[in-house]
Amino acid sequence: MPKFLKEFFNRNGTGMGLAILGLVLFWTIGLIILPQLSMLDFSFRPNLPPPEIGGPKDVYTLENYKYLIYGPEGGSQDYNAVDLRVFFRTLIAAVCVTIFNLIICYPIAYYLGQSKGSHIRIFAIMLIIPYWINEILRAFALRIIFGETGVLNTLFVGLGIFDTPFDFIRNDIALYAGLGYAYILLMIFPIYNVIESLDHNQIEAARDLGAPWWRIHWRVVIPYAKPGISSGCTMVFMLSAGALAAPQILGGPSSLWFTQLIYQQFNDNNDWPQGAAYAIVLLVTCILFVLAVMRLFKVNMGDIGK
Amino acid sequence: MSGSFLRVSIWAYLVIFFLYLLGPLVIMSVTAFNSSAFPRMSPWECLTFQWFDELFRDQRILNGIKNSLIIGAGTVVLSVAMGLAGALMLTQIWPKLRATYYTVIIAPILIPGVVLGISTLVFWDRINRMLGLGADSVLSNGVFLTVIGQSTFIASYCMLVLVARLQRYDVALTEAALDLGATHAQAFRKILLPFMRPAIASAAVLAFLASFENYNTTTFTFGEYPTLTIELAQKVRYGITPSISALAFIIVALTVFFALLNEAKLKRQELVAAVRKNATVEELAGKIKLPSFFAGNAAAVLVVIFAVATITVVGTATAYDPAQCVANVREQKRLEAEQRIQELRQQREEQRKQREAEEAEQGGAQSAPRPSNNSGFGNVFAPNTLGGDSEETQPQSETPPSSNDGFGGAFDPNSLQND
Repeated sequence: MPKFLKEFFNRNGTGMGLAILGLVLFWTIGLIILPQLSMLDFSFRPNLPPPEIGGPKDVYTLENYKYLIYGPEGGSQDYNAVDLRVFFRTLIAAVCVTIFNLIICYPIAYYLGQSKGSHIRIFAIMLIIPYWINEILRAFALRIIFGETGVLNTLFVGLGIFDTPFDFIRNDIALYAGLGYAYILLMIFPIYNVIESLDHNQIEAARDLGAPWWRIHWRVVIPYAKPGISSGCTMVFMLSAGALAAPQILGGPSSLWFTQLIYQQFNDNNDWPQGAAYAIVLLVTCILFVLAVMRLFKVNMGDIGK
Repeated sequence: MSGSFLRVSIWAYLVIFFLYLLGPLVIMSVTAFNSSAFPRMSPWECLTFQWFDELFRDQRILNGIKNSLIIGAGTVVLSVAMGLAGALMLTQIWPKLRATYYTVIIAPILIPGVVLGISTLVFWDRINRMLGLGADSVLSNGVFLTVIGQSTFIASYCMLVLVARLQRYDVALTEAALDLGATHAQAFRKILLPFMRPAIASAAVLAFLASFENYNTTTFTFGEYPTLTIELAQKVRYGITPSISALAFIIVALTVFFALLNEAKLKRQELVAAVRKNATVEELAGKIKLPSFFAGNAAAVLVVIFAVATITVVGTATAYDPAQCVANVREQKRLEAEQRIQELRQQREEQRKQREAEEAEQGGAQSAPRPSNNSGFGNVFAPNTLGGDSEETQPQSETPPSSNDGFGGAFDPNSLQND
């Protein structure tokens, strides 16, 4: 038995040690690592009916990945334009949602982090309450507002700003507003946590030295809050790229989110390997993208999730 | 000067921000009380409680709540246990492995829920096949798969909550217990667990809420046990009714109530601590009075107001009958519709006369008037004209629908115009 394992059992006792070790191994290996590997393996296999699985036809193939790029074999187009467009649209829209969220959340997080008083607690509760409401219901609430006879259209038509109701849903405005709405808290809290620990004297000092407010933020607050900003952005980006409920409820009839394609492969086409391949593509692209951006802004991986 | 301007703009920003955050929830809650069959705030028709009735009679919703509770309980147990084990392991793992281990257990938070759902489904399906079990075994059961799938990432949340408290734990306490002859299990149960209890409670609440509202993972794993969220999603996607608003209102009200209750409790603890700090000796001598529950505690007062308001509303709901109002609205709509029809008829009549006059003028040179001749009115008899000025004719179809069928195709772009 290796030394550290022996130490571990000495410290926790055999029974407790086994329980802890067992649970941790079940979680890390049984729930996290093996399922992901299994999905990866699955995505390289053809879609076979259950009796043929493990048979001679069950060989590794790149077919599922080729499908995303080139479309069905013998198809009329050179590339699978529909799916690829959905894929890139999802990524670009997720980036836009993240930037939008950062812009609206940073002032709030700064304000909450730097002001004192009992009203801050009330603001915190008001922030958390929407997050406890079901994701579906939050999307539903926005649907009521953005609908053709919804509050916004009634308001705008009533005020004479629009002549006819504006179709927010078909123009995807409802979708972006919904995605931004869903993850506000995940953006605010990491930034708030960091800014709260910023010594107010630093800001005072910058002000005394004659810096205008925007330069104080640019040179003092933002560099200090960088770990929080990067965790918030990472979470919002990953979650909105992987969102399913909001696009299903708020998306226009003609626009799809990449997760909806995955969902269709699983539930409508019953093509699990294809769906798994799409899921892998989404996961890997998102991770690579996040790592690239983090390298660009010189942020450490270890800062995420703190 | 600029200071006050800055302050005003900060407050304006805060107001707009919280309107964006809370406005949708308020509007959704209000629509639960409007008798209009499509959830909306304006035009306001009648105050009604019928959507709550409808909600409580909906078997699928009730069944969904039951499944959600079962799955939630399973997830809480599994993810708190795994989270605690994970946190304990994190504090004592071999330093070289620490970074890798941390990445692995934090990763599920960042992996999209869809991916977790798929990987769980695929993996356990494979295990099931390897063991040679049938399609109806435990391993392919919806409840089992959902609990497993959700726990994968919820355990990470629990771990983060638990590790924050565990870092403040003094290991010397456990060592002392062991020196005094306790077994490891006893030391764990009697020393560490009581210390961790507040964190375990918050982790459990967090886990339950996360499980209750999860959609992305569950939608792949639920099998034959749809949770409340799944049922809601089905309903919202294929036709929305105010009974969903009613459910939303209940959830919002419960959330606000428990948030206030929690806040009141925290505030009271703070007040008590403040008094104690200043007056330990007097307290020991029995001279000091602890502050009463409501003193200086706005949240507690709000809780009571909230409770009273709820009782009033429920009381009104049992006594209140909106039938008269609903009938009035229906009658008014009928009248409006009739008026519209009348107007249309008149219009047509006038147009007919005008055309006849025109024809007479032309001396019947043309046997039949081509539509292009009187371009402005020529299409008035075509059936499409009615749809053309939908603004005018809308109320005709707005007579309260007998059921929700009219909204069945919520995604059909036309359905919104129909109501």
